[in-house]
Amino acid sequence: MQPARRLVALAVGSGIVQATLMCVAAWLLARVLFLSIFEHVPLARVSGYLLALLGLAVLRMGLAYEVRRASFAAAVRVVGSMRHRLLEHVRSLGPLWLRSQSSGELVTQVMDGVDALVPYYARVLPQTALAAAVPLIIFLVVLPADWVTALILLVTAPLIPWFMVLVGNAAEHASQTRWLHLRRMGTLFLDALSGLATLRQLNAAQRMIQTIADSTESYRRETMEVLRIAFLSSVVLEFFATVSIAVVAVWVGFRLFWGDLDFQRGMFVLLLVPEFYLPLRALGTLRHSRMEALAAAQSMAELLGMPLPEKGVEKIGRCCVAEQIGISLQDVDFQYAAGRGVLKQVSFDVPEGQRTALVGPSGGGKSTLLDLLLGFARPQRGRILVNGEDLAEFDMNVWRQRVSWVPQRAHVFAGSFRDNLLIANPQVGDMRLRQVVQACALDMVLKNLPRSWDTPLGERGYGLSGGELQRLALARALLRDSPLLLLDEPTQHLDADMVQQIFEAIGPMLSGRTVLWVAHNLDATVYADHLVVLDAGAVVEQGTPTQLAHGGGLYARLLEADERA
Amino acid sequence: MALIATLAGIALLAVSGRFIASMALAGVSGIAINYFTPAALIRGFAIVRTGGRYVERLVTHEATLRALSGLRVWLFQRLIPLAPARLGALHSADLFARLRADVDRLEHVYLALLTPLLVAISASVIVLAVMLAYSVGIALITLLCVLIGGWWLPWWGLRWGTTPGEREVETHATLRIAIVDRLRGESELLALGAIQNMDERIGKMDTELWQQRRKLDRLQALGGVGAAFAAQLAVLGVLWIGVPEVHRNGLAPADLAMLAMLALALFESITPLPEAWAQMGATFKAAGRIFDLADTEPVIHEPKFPPSMPTDTELRLEGVQMRYREDHPWVLDGVDLCLAPGERLALVGASGAGKSSLAKLLLRFHPYQHGTIYFGGLSLDRWPGDALRRRIAVIDQRPYLFDASLRENLLLACPDTDDATLWRALHDAQLDTMVRQLPEGLETWVGENGMQLSGGQLRRVAIARALLMDAPVLILDEPTEGLDAATARSLYQALLRVTQGRSLLLISHRLGSMATLVDQVACLQQGRIVKQLTVQDYLASRRREN
Repeated sequence: MQPARRLVALAVGSGIVQATLMCVAAWLLARVLFLSIFEHVPLARVSGYLLALLGLAVLRMGLAYEVRRASFAAAVRVVGSMRHRLLEHVRSLGPLWLRSQSSGELVTQVMDGVDALVPYYARVLPQTALAAAVPLIIFLVVLPADWVTALILLVTAPLIPWFMVLVGNAAEHASQTRWLHLRRMGTLFLDALSGLATLRQLNAAQRMIQTIADSTESYRRETMEVLRIAFLSSVVLEFFATVSIAVVAVWVGFRLFWGDLDFQRGMFVLLLVPEFYLPLRALGTLRHSRMEALAAAQSMAELLGMPLPEKGVEKIGRCCVAEQIGISLQDVDFQYAAGRGVLKQVSFDVPEGQRTALVGPSGGGKSTLLDLLLGFARPQRGRILVNGEDLAEFDMNVWRQRVSWVPQRAHVFAGSFRDNLLIANPQVGDMRLRQVVQACALDMVLKNLPRSWDTPLGERGYGLSGGELQRLALARALLRDSPLLLLDEPTQHLDADMVQQIFEAIGPMLSGRTVLWVAHNLDATVYADHLVVLDAGAVVEQGTPTQLAHGGGLYARLLEADERA
Repeated sequence: MALIATLAGIALLAVSGRFIASMALAGVSGIAINYFTPAALIRGFAIVRTGGRYVERLVTHEATLRALSGLRVWLFQRLIPLAPARLGALHSADLFARLRADVDRLEHVYLALLTPLLVAISASVIVLAVMLAYSVGIALITLLCVLIGGWWLPWWGLRWGTTPGEREVETHATLRIAIVDRLRGESELLALGAIQNMDERIGKMDTELWQQRRKLDRLQALGGVGAAFAAQLAVLGVLWIGVPEVHRNGLAPADLAMLAMLALALFESITPLPEAWAQMGATFKAAGRIFDLADTEPVIHEPKFPPSMPTDTELRLEGVQMRYREDHPWVLDGVDLCLAPGERLALVGASGAGKSSLAKLLLRFHPYQHGTIYFGGLSLDRWPGDALRRRIAVIDQRPYLFDASLRENLLLACPDTDDATLWRALHDAQLDTMVRQLPEGLETWVGENGMQLSGGQLRRVAIARALLMDAPVLILDEPTEGLDAATARSLYQALLRVTQGRSLLLISHRLGSMATLVDQVACLQQGRIVKQLTVQDYLASRRREN
């Protein structure tokens, strides 16, 4: 048996024992009342009973606590690993898939969706079991005491679940609509909050307030819709319960009056009748927790059911082990699903230990090539060879340990300057760290930050200038000991002097490593050993910078355009 | 409403208890009693209780949800003037957590705290008064139990629940930030081999969150169980006092049954209290997070009396000094600059020289400490921010695109633009060819933060967006980044044409081919304009330097 299931069983078991003890207590209470009211006995005659009742109360409270504890523990067992599972799945779906998603919606699923499951496992599930078991026990206890009441219970009880099923469908639909809206609200809110300054800049803030107001208003309406159904079902339950209790009470009363029933049994039955309906009523109040959990679970199941990209011929653990890396692209064709970023029959070599720059008009497929080399996507045709071995067969987790990357728009993680720098290599030595920081001219930046290394960085690098952020991204990639460096426009936002200074400083660190960088800023191409010019997804020329500058090709024209000033 | 429903519930149980006892007594002694009144009462109370509960729930939830929706919109409204200066270090996921999860938690204040508390107090007062009429001893012992269950236990829950509650709220928010970070930064985490670490960190936070929740749940369970125990004690207490009183004939026998049931029923309104109060720490924390944010003063105060806005668009800076913190060196240290209407000026300086800070000042996103900036002859302090930003359009160094279609992003500033104007702006930004090639054209989804676009495309969308604003002053912050030289050159030609008659301030670390766009060049060094000269002189001096 799984631990979670055992915990649920424990909770339900404790609940059942608790209910049984409650019947005993009710009998004792009825007895005390009978003795006192009809026999007018002194306290001493009933003190034994009172003590027994006290003991029972202690026991019952212990059991009630156990029900709660065990159910919550069961819920944590089941739900506790859910966030991890979702994130793992997102990771397997890969960065290309993720780029097409909204993080606001995903985080709503991972945070609020998972949270919504807790009440289901902690409350609804055990309560459902108890709602089946406890009324049965009470019915069996009441039957010998007073069969007429038992009959009333027997007739009214099935009405309740029947009615709940009846309301069920409408409720589920409303709940799903609401959940969908909650996910969309996640997208809207997080996006609006990320772009607040832009909204102000464009004088669009007022309109966004209106959009947000509309969205929250319709969310409120949908929530009320769900609640109305939930309340209605619970009110009907309560109504049945209350009317039944009233019927039993009046009926018992009259039979007492007629002398058909003795007081003690009448009282006993009357004390038990509310308890008969209580578990069902409790289930009714949990109604909307159940609906919410179901809706959340459904959208999570959709996410988890999203088919993973094909693993292809990837072999676990396989990678190249050579100290230096040389890459050769052979007739590589690639296109993103959306029809953007096309590569056509791209073939060129990135010689080991050398610096190769990718040059060409914007949108020519340069960043796409880096996506392929990072294993975020696979060529649709052709091969990428790493030291003669097919990249497609490598274990991507191992391969990426050998690669460092500076993306075009570096992500700034929540945390301090230090956290952001060390994210790629938390164990880096002090010497190395100082070296890299100095090489990337970050020591100047640190001096001006209010809390130096511990300055928290804002989202998208708020607090750093474009050039400073760029140097941070470069530094964090350099902190890794990887033989292959992929740099997507590492010199953007940097002035020529700075570029020169940095390239001279990092020169020794790059020796022996293979560097492939995407360059728009042609100033920096003089630091390359080898140039590859890409236009509209195809290689149009390649060679050394000096060769190409005088070759009269696209590079020469770009250079001329750049210099004509 | 809640109170009526609860009292009806209490009365229902009590009257039935009394009714049964009297009926039995009557049956034994053979006396005819008025049984119609109690019987009718029982049915009446039953209906009042059920109906009351339904209406009460609807009304309170409706009111609460309305209040929370209003609060959400209000909070968002308060956030806008805080951006970007005050929100700089706050992660959008943190703001998101406050706007959503924390606001949701406030639901608890009304639904689980205020209403039940009021109901419990009123019910206790009424029930105890009724009891007092029958027996002082019984009323006292019940009061004692009510105090245990309704006062001591909630206090105890509040005391021990505050720390785990606060930590739960905090962990919940940091977890949300970490997960957003994990999602948005996935490519880098994968490429830098940091994803394992990140996932472990998230795992740790998640475990911490469950631990705090477990603590809270245990407290709540103990509180709930304790209150139920207090209810049992109350019944036992009533019997303990009542049995001898009946024995001495101090109390009518039937009333004992009623009082015992009354005590039991009263606790229906008391039992939820300890649980609710154990959650108070979390609720207070959430409220604190919301109001901390809402109470933050914007760095810029809008003028109280908006003056009549001048039509002139001359921009003049006189001895402007600005720094981000008191204990820091000046970022701008006495800048004098003038941008006459229709003038084109490049502001050139090394990375970190304060160029972008200047743009922030001109948008009134940040205050300056000394000197004055005049726009159209009116001091910037007297300009309402929105009016100013309608006249000065900035293309940011790091432009943000929203998770919407290309069209929606372009129309953000002026939603009523027609298609012809839109395409013209796209053409001017050198984007039209690319957009025409897209299968979905203008309806193409750009993705969160423009993820689906290349760096160069993103920048050109931002340029088109700013051109559509048709502002008399245009500030371009590093417009060439991410663009190849050829595209950049045709972009400048287009910009030169469309910005005729507008003032242009170009901010760049490298003038390069942008020289065609401007007439004047100002060099910014260490927060000062060290020289300002015509573009020809500037280029000549650069050539001499090389």
